[in-house]
Amino acid sequence: MAKIQDHIYPLFKLTANNIRRHPVINLISISIISIAMLMLILYFLGYSNAARIVSTWRADLRIVVYLVDDIDGERMSALKNYCRELDEVIRFDYVSKEQALKNFKVTLGENSNFLSGLSENPLPASLELFLDSEIAEIDDVERLARQLQRQVGVDEVAYGSRWLRQLFSLLKTVKYFGFVFAAFLSAVTIFIVASTIRLSLYARRETIRVLYLVGATRSFIALPYLFEGVFQGAVASFLALGFAYAGFCYFKAWLQLQVPQWSIVLQLKFFTTLPLLLFLLLGTSLGIAGFLLSSRWVRQD
Amino acid sequence: MIRVSHLNKSYNHPDMILKDVSFDVKKGDFVYLSGPSGAGKTTLFRLLFADLKPDGGQIVVDGLDLVKARPARIAHLRQRMGVVFQDYKLIPNYTVFDNVALALEIAGTPRRLIQKAVWRVLKVVGVERQLDRLPPQLSGGEQQRVAIARALVNDPQLILADEPTGNLDYEIANEIMSIFNYINSLGATIVMVTHNRALLQRFKRKVFYLDQGSLQAYVWPD
Repeated sequence: MAKIQDHIYPLFKLTANNIRRHPVINLISISIISIAMLMLILYFLGYSNAARIVSTWRADLRIVVYLVDDIDGERMSALKNYCRELDEVIRFDYVSKEQALKNFKVTLGENSNFLSGLSENPLPASLELFLDSEIAEIDDVERLARQLQRQVGVDEVAYGSRWLRQLFSLLKTVKYFGFVFAAFLSAVTIFIVASTIRLSLYARRETIRVLYLVGATRSFIALPYLFEGVFQGAVASFLALGFAYAGFCYFKAWLQLQVPQWSIVLQLKFFTTLPLLLFLLLGTSLGIAGFLLSSRWVRQD
Repeated sequence: MIRVSHLNKSYNHPDMILKDVSFDVKKGDFVYLSGPSGAGKTTLFRLLFADLKPDGGQIVVDGLDLVKARPARIAHLRQRMGVVFQDYKLIPNYTVFDNVALALEIAGTPRRLIQKAVWRVLKVVGVERQLDRLPPQLSGGEQQRVAIARALVNDPQLILADEPTGNLDYEIANEIMSIFNYINSLGATIVMVTHNRALLQRFKRKVFYLDQGSLQAYVWPD
């Protein structure tokens, strides 16, 4: 009785033979998948780092609510309660007129002398609202600002997130374009891999015919090509990730030398384990998909 | 073992290659398929292991209707039979050992048995010393014997051979015929295509004679 390994062993032997006897075809397939994977990896590496850096800026989301000078205690208390009940607000600080002036003097430093000539403090009291970056979207900041503006006792509302909003919208576009780019590159890669497999099938047509004539089933003929696709995809992904990592380390070191004052460089990171595994899976899938597209060429007759 | 009924084949040509051919080969028989060049011997031979589809009629081999059978069933039937091709059909970049072992590997034979079985059958046909050589490095006669070894290695119950002694000298041809006779004596059914009248005379068996697409059966007279 034949064991399962007796059926599997010849398939691996045929796969190894195919790879060993057709190194050029394999090299072409691996190079094509590697290049496509490298482009995708670099694209998403750039995107993920940009997104991380922007997220740290986003964590600094604030709204400053300037109060009217004649706000009474009751209105003040109602406004504080209103702010306390907002889900997006983590905490808020009350900055009195006096505190605002002090802060301003500190900011001006040696140039603050002219402030001593003022007969009265021109700066308004304010509430400084710190938003939860996990909850608050950029759109929420504008909405909150409009709500606060309508409250009694509020003179003006200031928020500096307009440029962040533009950056986020740019990142979103980059992200969606990335998926379209990935789909396009994958389709092109699958087509090219399928073509190389077809080329390989054509080169081995006499061998395949003999295999059929001595009793090979379609799966016996086709499975080594599937294994070959898996092999090509996996090797290509490893190579692409290796090149990307080497390039990333080189670029980071170069940037640190060129602009040592940029603390942002320290935030640049390579992929964690999960995306690495996903890229390996994607590369392997490209090899398999290339095989599936060409498998109809493995004919029984 | 083989039942062929009202078989027609034309390759889309007005002149039929095979016209209403019918014959039976019983289990354990050793028969020749003979006739002049272009008579349709090789076409009939290829139809017997479903390498071609007929235009009409029925071919049943070992209980399997080759016209209706699915490809996987045909593959399994081929694993149970041995086929010797006139042009050997050896894989040029596989060694002699690998070419013969292939038939066993396809059938799922345990690995530990393959080496022994291949060596034994190569010894029987006399090419055991060429184990590691590639077919292009062998003479025509040696390649023929490797092809025979591949057909025999599975101990098949049905052997189809197309001119298996065509490239062999008189003595080797006799040896090969002795091997086929021996295998037949063990119970295997053999259908051998040959146009070699001397062979038909020397090893007398039932002959199916094809001429202009029609078949006659007779035994070579003493």
